[in-house]
Amino acid sequence: MSKKALTIAVPSKGRLMENTLKMFASIGMTIKKTGHERGYHGKVIEHEEIDVAFLSASEIAHDLRSGRIHLGVTGEDLVRETIADHHKRVTFIKPLGFGHADVIVAVPKSWLDVDTVADLEDVAAQFQKNHGRRLRLATKYVNLTGRFFARNGFFGYRIVGSLGATEGAPASSNAELIVDITSTGETLVANHLKILKDGVILMSQANLVASRNANWTSAAIEARNKIEQRILTEKTPE
Amino acid sequence: MQAETAQKFEALEQLAAKLREVFTKAGFEPVAPAILQPADVLLDCSGEALRARTYVFSDLDGHELCLRPDLTVPTARLYLERNPTVHEEARYCYNGPTFRYSPADGKNTRPREFRQMGLELYAMNDRLAAEAEIFKLTIESIEKARLSDYKIKIGDLGLFTAFIDAIDMPTRWRARLKHHFWRPDAFHKLLRELSGDEEGASQTKNSWPLLDSKDLLGAMLIISNHMRDHKIPLIGTRSLEEVTKRLIDRQLDTAEDRLSKEKVQLIEDYLAIQGPPRAAMARIVDLTDKADIKIAKAFKRFEKRLDLFKERGIEMKNTEFSAEFGRSFEYYTGFVFQIEASNSEEIGPVAGGGRYDGLLKKLGAMDKVRAVGCAIHTERLLTLVEGEME
Repeated sequence: MSKKALTIAVPSKGRLMENTLKMFASIGMTIKKTGHERGYHGKVIEHEEIDVAFLSASEIAHDLRSGRIHLGVTGEDLVRETIADHHKRVTFIKPLGFGHADVIVAVPKSWLDVDTVADLEDVAAQFQKNHGRRLRLATKYVNLTGRFFARNGFFGYRIVGSLGATEGAPASSNAELIVDITSTGETLVANHLKILKDGVILMSQANLVASRNANWTSAAIEARNKIEQRILTEKTPE
Repeated sequence: MQAETAQKFEALEQLAAKLREVFTKAGFEPVAPAILQPADVLLDCSGEALRARTYVFSDLDGHELCLRPDLTVPTARLYLERNPTVHEEARYCYNGPTFRYSPADGKNTRPREFRQMGLELYAMNDRLAAEAEIFKLTIESIEKARLSDYKIKIGDLGLFTAFIDAIDMPTRWRARLKHHFWRPDAFHKLLRELSGDEEGASQTKNSWPLLDSKDLLGAMLIISNHMRDHKIPLIGTRSLEEVTKRLIDRQLDTAEDRLSKEKVQLIEDYLAIQGPPRAAMARIVDLTDKADIKIAKAFKRFEKRLDLFKERGIEMKNTEFSAEFGRSFEYYTGFVFQIEASNSEEIGPVAGGGRYDGLLKKLGAMDKVRAVGCAIHTERLLTLVEGEME
């Protein structure tokens, strides 16, 4: 991808990008875009040997898996969702204290009879009897959902793909329940949904992540050690 | 699949031909169901767990398809295509590639692609005769392949159902126990919950008046008022009636006596039964006598089945009954069996099958259609036979 020693990927837009750049600046790494303002490449002013790629958070997760980049800043939720065997492919170096979002299970508030995941299997049995099908669950997190429910003994559901706003699916009758991310819970309230008591699948935040599959030359390792050292001694900003 | 040597291909073809001869002679028609199957049919039927071991993908029209993870469902769909309204007795056999997801890191021992051979017998009224026919043919084909050192495991999910039905408890608890039978962890958790050892799902204090279980409309009114007062709109597909009914059930559960320790122990004891079929029967009689419960009908059927097997000359060598056996395949409903090599457990079972009376209705049949079948893993069988010859 680059002739430089190490490639680090940072989110290409929004608050996640701002916070990431601020974090790197605080450890003495000033990241600047090269070329025009809307481009995707950057450099670290203080470190010529480091190449910077501006990518979407989900692309970063994919590229960490394939090893196209050495390091990346992205959400833990995306890493766990995108990389099935993530413990073999990546290393979480440090949670960064921003980009907080929980992956949660939510059902309509009007389900007064449902408080926990254990209730869901009973509801599924009742639903199957009355409606002749499984409960539909809208989510973008197919893998996280599957693993969580397999562990917690809920099987009576079918995943329906979710392209747009997942939280709207129950109200529009496209799904009975959802698995989605939430940071403040406001969207859930607005959509008349509630989180199950034991329905937090993952408390996610932005992480600095290393790919195990990247080309770890001695120069790359040296550059990584420098960054790691500084970032690990830095206090996590809240 | 790893590329096959011409030799292995030849050997597998010969083995398949040998078995097919046994099956066609017995009146089973060779069929070739589609390899590509609509994913939603399989997922609806087997649940999302299937996704984790199946190759699912979308085609250019956006349809979700999958490579068949076994041949029972595809063959049942073929039967329903041919017999959409009147479900006539039919005997099919098949042989073809099957696909299961396996991580591509090269170290796995399970192949992603393997051949599965099998038999399915639909809509035969005489249940025991149908079971004996499939069981006998499976053993015959294994013997014909010259595998001699094997053991058989049998089970009967009908016995479990009868056992639960015979124990005194609220009907809805029985339904829940049966529903969770296939997931041992969830099943034990539920047992603990019903016996009061573990706080269940339904222990929250409610902020509405007591519901009268005999007055559903009245209860619905209370709940609907509660929702109005708390500005909770009723959204989605589940109705007020469904929510209310479950709230009533939960309320009844809290008022109910817990499932006694003796009953929990009885269920655990039953599930732990394992051994030669006749000895297992004696153990079941012993258990039911002591607990003073009656499962006569299911027990008689089990007994008659064993007698019939004997009458048909099925030599049941190295056979063990296991009360718990059958738990890992959700579609089985009655007699189940499995054959594996005696000393090569790491290779996995070479054949398995049983009764699955619920599947065809799930796939769209008008009524319940009785069905018994078996599947044979011919590649494992070949490996074992070649191993015995060395």
